[in-house]
Amino acid sequence: MVKELKFLTALWKTNLAAAMEYRVAFISQSIGMILNDGVYFLIWIIFFDRFKDIRGWQFTDMFMVFGISAGAYGLSGMLFGNAFNLADIIVNGRLDYYLSLPRPTLLHVLASQASPSGFGDFLYGFISYFASGQFSPDGFGRFILGLILATVVFVSFLVIVQSLTFWLGTGGALTGIAINAMVTFALYPITLFNNTAKLILFIVVPAAFMGAVPAGFVRSFTWSSIGLMIIAAAGFLALALFLFQLGLRRYESGSAIQVEV
Amino acid sequence: MVVFFQLWQVTFNASGSQVLNGLTLHDTMWYLLMAETLELGRPRLARLISQQVKDGSIAYLLNKPYDFLLYQLASGLGESLPRMGILFIIGGALVWSMAGGPPALQNWPLAMIALVGAWLLHFCVNGLIGLAAFVAEEVAPFEWIYQKLVFILGGMLIPLDFYPVWLQTVAKSLPFAYMMYGPARLFVRSDLQLFVQILAGQVLWLAIIGGLLSLAFARGMRRLAINGG
Repeated sequence: MVKELKFLTALWKTNLAAAMEYRVAFISQSIGMILNDGVYFLIWIIFFDRFKDIRGWQFTDMFMVFGISAGAYGLSGMLFGNAFNLADIIVNGRLDYYLSLPRPTLLHVLASQASPSGFGDFLYGFISYFASGQFSPDGFGRFILGLILATVVFVSFLVIVQSLTFWLGTGGALTGIAINAMVTFALYPITLFNNTAKLILFIVVPAAFMGAVPAGFVRSFTWSSIGLMIIAAAGFLALALFLFQLGLRRYESGSAIQVEV
Repeated sequence: MVVFFQLWQVTFNASGSQVLNGLTLHDTMWYLLMAETLELGRPRLARLISQQVKDGSIAYLLNKPYDFLLYQLASGLGESLPRMGILFIIGGALVWSMAGGPPALQNWPLAMIALVGAWLLHFCVNGLIGLAAFVAEEVAPFEWIYQKLVFILGGMLIPLDFYPVWLQTVAKSLPFAYMMYGPARLFVRSDLQLFVQILAGQVLWLAIIGGLLSLAFARGMRRLAINGG
C-alpha cells in the first residue's frame, strides 16, 4: 500500500512537471476553466433571480452543488486524467505498455496523465464553496471529504463505462455520453426528479453522489448521508476494479509499436 | 430534454400560471429543442482548424485550388446537417410525447431562415477561434468561454424572455442572441417584426465577424511558416 502511494506520488509529480513545461497553456487553461465554470453558473443566478425556489431548492444550494461537482471533476482530471481516455487506450492497444510493467495496471494507466484544465475546475470548486456563505471549519472538513468520495464515485463510474470497451470493441461515444450524463444530472436540483429518476441517479448514473448527496452532507452532518457516500464509493470502486480485471482477460494486444510520453 | 421538461414543468407549476413572459411550457420546450439542436449540431470547427494550424496539416489544404474558409464551411455543413437532422427528429419525438405537438407550420420557414443565419454566425466565430492558434498556444479556453456566452447571452438554457429587461437589452445588442435565441424564438412564436429585427441583426453581425475572420485569415497566412514537406 505504502509502495503504491509512493508510486502514485511520483506519477503526480511527473505530471505536474510535464504541465509546467507548457506553463502558459497550463495557466491559460486553468483560468479559462474557472471563467467557463463561473459563466455557466450565471445561468442559475438568472434562473433563481426570476423563479426563487424549485421545490425547496434555493440559490445557495446551487453554490454547494457546483462546488462539489466542479471540484470532483477537476480532481479526477488532475489526479487520474486518463479516466477520460481509458476507452481509447484500450481500443488502440496502448495497455501493452502498462501491462509490461510491474505495477497495478489500472492505477498506473489512470494516473499517467493529468488534465491541465482540471486544476481550474478544482479551484472553482473551492471558490464556489466559499461563495456559498456557508463556510465553517467543520463544514470545510465535510466539503473535503465529500469532494474525495465524489471523485472516487466519478472515476469509478468512468472506469466501469469504459471497461465495457473490452467487450464492445469501441467506447469513445459511450464515454462522452457517460461524462455528460453525470455532469448534467449532478448540476440540476435533485428535487426536480421523481422517485424512479432519483433511483436511477443513485444506482445507474450515480450523479447524486457527485452533487446533491455530498452537498447535503456539507450543509449538515448526518450519519445516513456519510454512510451512503462511503457505501457508494466502495461499491462503485469495487465494481470498477472487478470489471476492469475481467475485461483485461479479453484484451488482445495489437502488437503495435507504441511510444508513451 | 427530459431534465429540461422536469425543470420547466416544476417552474410553471410553482408560478401558478400557464403563460410566463409570453411563453407556455409547450413553447419553452420546443424553443429549447431548437436551441439544443443548433448547439449540439453545429460543427466543432474551432478545434479542427486550430489542430490544422498547430500540426501544420493546414499546408495540405492551402495548396489546393479552393478557398480555405469556403472549404471549412462546406466541410462543417456536411458534418452538421445530418447531426442536426437526427437530433431534431429524436429530440422532437421526445418533446412531442412530453409537451405536445410541434409549433404551427407557418413558423417553420422564418425559423429556418434565421437558423441559416445563426449557423453562419457560429461558423465565423468558430473560424476566428480556430485561427487564434496562430498566436495562442491553446484555443480551448476561448472555445469554452464562447460556448458559455452563447448559453447565457444566447438564451440557450433559459429563453431570453425570462431574463430581467436590462439583461435582455444587453443580450440583444450582442451577436449571441442572433446565434440561438432568434431561430428558437421564431420557431415557437411567429412574428414578422421580430423576424426582420433578427435578420437585420444577423446580417450586421455576419458582416462584422465575417470581416474579422477574413482579416484574421489573411494575417495568419502572413505569419505561417511552412518548412519542408
